[in-house]
Amino acid sequence: MDRRLPPRDGEWIDRSQSVEFRFEGATYRGFEGDVLSSALWANDVRLLGRSFKYHRPRGVYSLAGHDANLIVEDGIRTNMRGDMLAVSSGLDVRSVNTLGGLDRDRLSITGRFGEFLPVGFYYKAFHTPRRLFPFYENQMRKVAGLGRINSANQRANSPKDYAFCDLLVVGAGPAGLAGAIAAAEQGLDVLIVDEQQRPGGSLVWQWADAATAREHLEGLLEQLAAHDNVRLWCGTQAAGYYGDYWVALVDDTHLTKLRAKSMLVATGCFEQPAVFQNNDLPGVMLGSAAQRLIQLYAVKPFDRAIVLAANSEGYRVALDLNEAGVDVAAIADLRRDGEATELAQRVDDAGIRVYRGYCVYEAVPAAGNKRIRGATICALDEKGVPRSEALTRIDCDGIAMSIGWTPNGGLIYQAGGRFTHAEHVEQLIPQTLSPGTFAAGRVNGVFGLESQIDDGYRAGLAAAAHLGSFTGDVPPSPSHYESPSSHPYPIIAHKGKKNFVDLDEDLHLADFENAHQEGYDNVELMKRFSTVGMGPSQGKLSNINAVRILARLNGATINQTGTTTSRPFHQPVPIRHLAGRSFHPQRRTPMNHWHVRHNAEMVYAGAWLRPEYYRVDGESRDDSILREATHVRNNVGLIDVSTLGKLQISGPDSVEFLERIYTGRFAKQQVGRLRYGLACDETGVIIDDGVIGRFSEDRFYVTATSSGAAAQYREMQRWAQIWNMDVTLVNATGHLAAINLAGPCCRDVLQELTSTDLSATAFPYLALGEAIVAEVSAKLMRVGFVGELGYEIHVPASQAMHVWEALMQAGERFGIRPFGVEAQRLLRLEKGHLIVSQDTDALTSPFEADVAWAIGKNKTFFVGARSLAILRKKPLTRRLVGLMFAASDAGTLPEECNLIIANDELVGRITSIAPRSTLGYPIAMALLSPDLAKIGTTVKIRVDGGSLVEAVVASMPFYDPENSRQNVQAES
Amino acid sequence: MPHRLLKFALSKKHPEPRMFRAPTELKSEYDAVIIGGGGHGLAAAYYLAKDHGITNVAILEKGYIGGGGTGRNTAIIRSNYLTPEGIRFYQGSVELFQDLSRELNLNLFYSKRGHFTLAHSPASLRTQRWRAEVNKHLGIDSRVVTPEFIKETVPEIDLHVGGHQAPIHGALYHPPGAVARHDAVAWGYARGADRRGVEIHQRTAVTDIEIRDGAVAGVHTDKGFIKTRKVLSAVAGWTTHITPMVGLRTPLVIHPLQAMVTEPLKPWLNSIVVSASLHLYVSQSSRGELVAGASLDPYELISMRSTLDFAEGMSTGLLDLFPCLGDIKVLRQWAGLCDMTPDFSPIMGVTPIKGFYIDAGWGTWGFKATPISGKTMAFTMAEDRDHKLIEAFSLSRFKRLELVGEKGAASVGH
Amino acid sequence: MPLRSGISIMKIITCPINGPRPLQEFHFGGEVRTMPDPNSATDEQWADYVFNREGEPGLKREWWYHVPSGTWFIAERDNRTDEFVRTFLYGAEECDG
Repeated sequence: MDRRLPPRDGEWIDRSQSVEFRFEGATYRGFEGDVLSSALWANDVRLLGRSFKYHRPRGVYSLAGHDANLIVEDGIRTNMRGDMLAVSSGLDVRSVNTLGGLDRDRLSITGRFGEFLPVGFYYKAFHTPRRLFPFYENQMRKVAGLGRINSANQRANSPKDYAFCDLLVVGAGPAGLAGAIAAAEQGLDVLIVDEQQRPGGSLVWQWADAATAREHLEGLLEQLAAHDNVRLWCGTQAAGYYGDYWVALVDDTHLTKLRAKSMLVATGCFEQPAVFQNNDLPGVMLGSAAQRLIQLYAVKPFDRAIVLAANSEGYRVALDLNEAGVDVAAIADLRRDGEATELAQRVDDAGIRVYRGYCVYEAVPAAGNKRIRGATICALDEKGVPRSEALTRIDCDGIAMSIGWTPNGGLIYQAGGRFTHAEHVEQLIPQTLSPGTFAAGRVNGVFGLESQIDDGYRAGLAAAAHLGSFTGDVPPSPSHYESPSSHPYPIIAHKGKKNFVDLDEDLHLADFENAHQEGYDNVELMKRFSTVGMGPSQGKLSNINAVRILARLNGATINQTGTTTSRPFHQPVPIRHLAGRSFHPQRRTPMNHWHVRHNAEMVYAGAWLRPEYYRVDGESRDDSILREATHVRNNVGLIDVSTLGKLQISGPDSVEFLERIYTGRFAKQQVGRLRYGLACDETGVIIDDGVIGRFSEDRFYVTATSSGAAAQYREMQRWAQIWNMDVTLVNATGHLAAINLAGPCCRDVLQELTSTDLSATAFPYLALGEAIVAEVSAKLMRVGFVGELGYEIHVPASQAMHVWEALMQAGERFGIRPFGVEAQRLLRLEKGHLIVSQDTDALTSPFEADVAWAIGKNKTFFVGARSLAILRKKPLTRRLVGLMFAASDAGTLPEECNLIIANDELVGRITSIAPRSTLGYPIAMALLSPDLAKIGTTVKIRVDGGSLVEAVVASMPFYDPENSRQNVQAES
Repeated sequence: MPHRLLKFALSKKHPEPRMFRAPTELKSEYDAVIIGGGGHGLAAAYYLAKDHGITNVAILEKGYIGGGGTGRNTAIIRSNYLTPEGIRFYQGSVELFQDLSRELNLNLFYSKRGHFTLAHSPASLRTQRWRAEVNKHLGIDSRVVTPEFIKETVPEIDLHVGGHQAPIHGALYHPPGAVARHDAVAWGYARGADRRGVEIHQRTAVTDIEIRDGAVAGVHTDKGFIKTRKVLSAVAGWTTHITPMVGLRTPLVIHPLQAMVTEPLKPWLNSIVVSASLHLYVSQSSRGELVAGASLDPYELISMRSTLDFAEGMSTGLLDLFPCLGDIKVLRQWAGLCDMTPDFSPIMGVTPIKGFYIDAGWGTWGFKATPISGKTMAFTMAEDRDHKLIEAFSLSRFKRLELVGEKGAASVGH
Repeated sequence: MPLRSGISIMKIITCPINGPRPLQEFHFGGEVRTMPDPNSATDEQWADYVFNREGEPGLKREWWYHVPSGTWFIAERDNRTDEFVRTFLYGAEECDG
């Protein structure tokens, strides 16, 4: 059956564009402009979804996305809302959470067990016997949940946007449009957003009987168009407000992050349902939903209907239904005095019977509950109690409810505003607004059409005044003293217990009474126990009724009862819009592409990419690494160490400054020499290390670990200020690249590229100088991290590739090979050099790490010194030591962080281990109890499988204990 | 159909009594006063009554019970910590949780899911192995697993994490890792305490604490003064409101911690997944929602406001790990307060002020400790000395520079 | 790791040198603490300086760092409302009116 009405002015559908789509396996036709809900209803499909708990049939309810009755999935996307989903050719969707399809949903049987499943029932059972709980939970998980994810769904990026404006207007209804015009007239840059596809708000569906409504809308839009400084974005929600007018705007395709200077909230209200038996079945809907069906989509909502009213809007709904050809059998007006405006006369003229002081007692279901076939109404006594002994039955297939509104005020709350319940309008209205926030229209408790426009205009001027663009007088807010649009208690008890307060969670009135009885008697406990408002519509249609019920149960006012916290998002936001393109910054050294071209296995070290090793065909990773290390020991290798922190410290107070930051002494450090730098934090824990080079009396060059460099620099800057020292700090980490050349032949290689005398006497171990290398200005150091003759060359990043290639070329006849991070780690382990944060942890002191020698003698102060003085008095509980394994153990070696066990106690752990070394046997570093730290002691380490492996405490360095290789005094 | 549900159909009137009384007046004196009606305070009261027979107790809660961290956390329970002290302590809690639903006669939905802490670098994997080894040594089921194992257990995961950052190198896997219904834990303990005589006073704020000669003499509230000689502060993120009242200095700094929830989905994620590198953790509740959190807000703030960048950063990480989730929608975001300590271990036990006991420093690790903190603090209050399990967590450890370093195990706290 | 995604950018802070900049550009450096003389402080006084904090709610003096320009400054901020009352360079407050 086709419920489509003849074409009407202002309809949103395009009848020239017919669209074929599938729902639950059946094919239907609709038009461009239809949403799924409207297209289905037009085809007289009333069963649109099944509820979460009882699988009750559900149909159109708000047609505005305020309810979650129609949720569908298409196999790729899930949890799509029927009210907001445009029909398009090829759309093929099914309702979520049914067993065997919507029509025959086998889970509807749960409805019969309602008596056994009161609110919070799952807390009362299923936990004993314990062994059965996992089974029960599994079943519950299967019936809970709505849509299914599609694990094959491809990741899609939704690039984000930024936007700026002076005034954000949320809502393009009469108040919002008027406000935007007022602000634009004062020169503000205005952005209006509205979540509907077209502007107009309630003007397009509520005021159809007022001939002026369309004129108003056209007039407002025309005025708006006359200003350059206004943008209108439809299909866009303001999902949440964040500090300093940072607002998340979300449309179908992406997220825009808006920085506004002020915000005008003209978001209107959510029409509220009445609570009566079977108020959830298809055919029962909000009055505004019926109006939207008629005005926007030209769909006749019902054949025969009654209207439950408590305000003027209800009478409008009756007239609209009548005009659309619906047989309006009656209006049941909850108010004893009925309607005071001229609408009462017009309803009378239309021959619609009005029952004053009546409620709907129940909606009468047709067989199968898939639609209603009537309503029973009755009078209310003076106390508002239904006279259920005298019921009047009216046949109908629809009940439209117009009993009240609640403000869509989330953004106001989030911006720090407060609402108060005003009894004269029986509604929450804004009480305080944060500076820069303005409210207008129905969200502000202003309901008349002209009043809304005036209120909007006023708010726009107020915004302009706030921003200093308007210096005139801002008119006062129109009074809220109009006849209340909301009924204070539209809730009718029924022993059938299918009078729903929250449709998402299938909570009926008795559930609240029961929860209250159990002591969940304040709004937060009530929410958490009953789950009211926790479903997909987040309480838009249930929160205020729940508050009304709770207030009555407590004998308190609504203000005393309070509400729950309003949080983003207004409507749910897809993860991919929030994620955007997921930028992950990478830091690459100047030689990065060279490494890649030479088969380097690149790995992440923080955000940096570094070569782990260079792959060789037919060779395993471990073999390659050992080969690279062996080559350095025997020949010459070079490694890109550009990620190293590099800090330039200069000025008259440099020495004093460094002596305070690092544990060592530098006053007597020679110019042209390096010293080891160890830095601790205030608690005495090691945080960084490197070398400290002196270029002149007051000019130093300091290296830091790659991961610690930024923090070290930052903290140095702070200390420099606190100590008020005359020192200049420059972080050259990214500006300079660094190359480490090491191995017995390395001097020969380097000498070809520089005229600086590299002889052992001229440039001894730990020497530092400025040199020209491969025609590039370089800082040159002789270092020993890997334990061979070695130089570190620091050059500007822009010239590093040239120097690297020059070194490779000069080294060719010596057999130079690049080596990666893993080989370097092996080489330094052979020399017993610790790596901060691998061989040390968040609590390791210099005493434990065996680097107390780096603490300068007789120093009056350095960061951490005072704490170290305290720690020094305590017995050491662990020490960094070297361990050796028998060469034959190669198969069953521990991994890093395997633990050392003695007498079933934990006495230490492996911090670094090399299963294969250039020495021919496995070596390791470990933190170990000092009792066992004597050289030659055998210790046992528990490996992953649980067995114990033996190792022997050995002195470090393992390799070249005399350091003759790195200190090379004589010529090679 | 569990037989317990029969009574609901068979009685005309709803057959359930109040979970706990709502006393309107404070007595003039109590044997003990507990400040904070969250999980910890309620549990402490419960065990004070049950284990030690001390029932003349008042719980003072300025809002509603369980309204602080207990009501806001993402409900993960595990014991795979790093230090032996931490492991023993949290394992004590895990053990209490096993039978807690039966003991409190309330279904807490304690659900073992298995817990992964993903490592995205060799350094991180090292830390996971460190945890695994100490765990195993103390008899905790915990081990390092390969990327292949992770993928088999959580097929929707992308081991390459989007491809533009470090891939997953492995994980710490803790099969006993569980989730529970956090609010219910508070309600269960509340009822258990109330049944044994403890008075729970909601909407009652403490305004000052009376100290005489270095000992607790009473508590000032907005509803009057209470004489007492034992006061427990169990207010987590609000601890720095209380400690000045007794002149106690602590290292605590308060940071917001945010979380968010998606629309309900049919079950697909059975495990709890944590990534220390991406700073996120996610699990699927029994209602079907994905519950997810990330790292602490970067600066101190005693406010539970939400930020957009949390939602963005969280979503970036989620999508990197689970690329199929792009169209899944976030329903709501919220926040709680974390009272952070320098070593990521709590602050518990007696204090230099006689009769003033502290249960604080719960950072991002408080919910899982609810039962054991209640039990040990009850002992501590009853015996006026620190329970063995919490000795290491004494406030005095800082002045001795004896920190209990859990920074490697608090997943995304830092 | 400094380049982490997820840093808050919605609030605006006024750097004394660079003017109003989004929060993303800043690093929080903890409360302003005065170091006691390490030579005369007792172990307990020293530990108190190192670890204890003035965590109570209210107006705080804090170190903040504008990362792109390397500027450290002091902010007076209400740690309940997150309102930055004023920002100034360390040592500048004596000159302030």
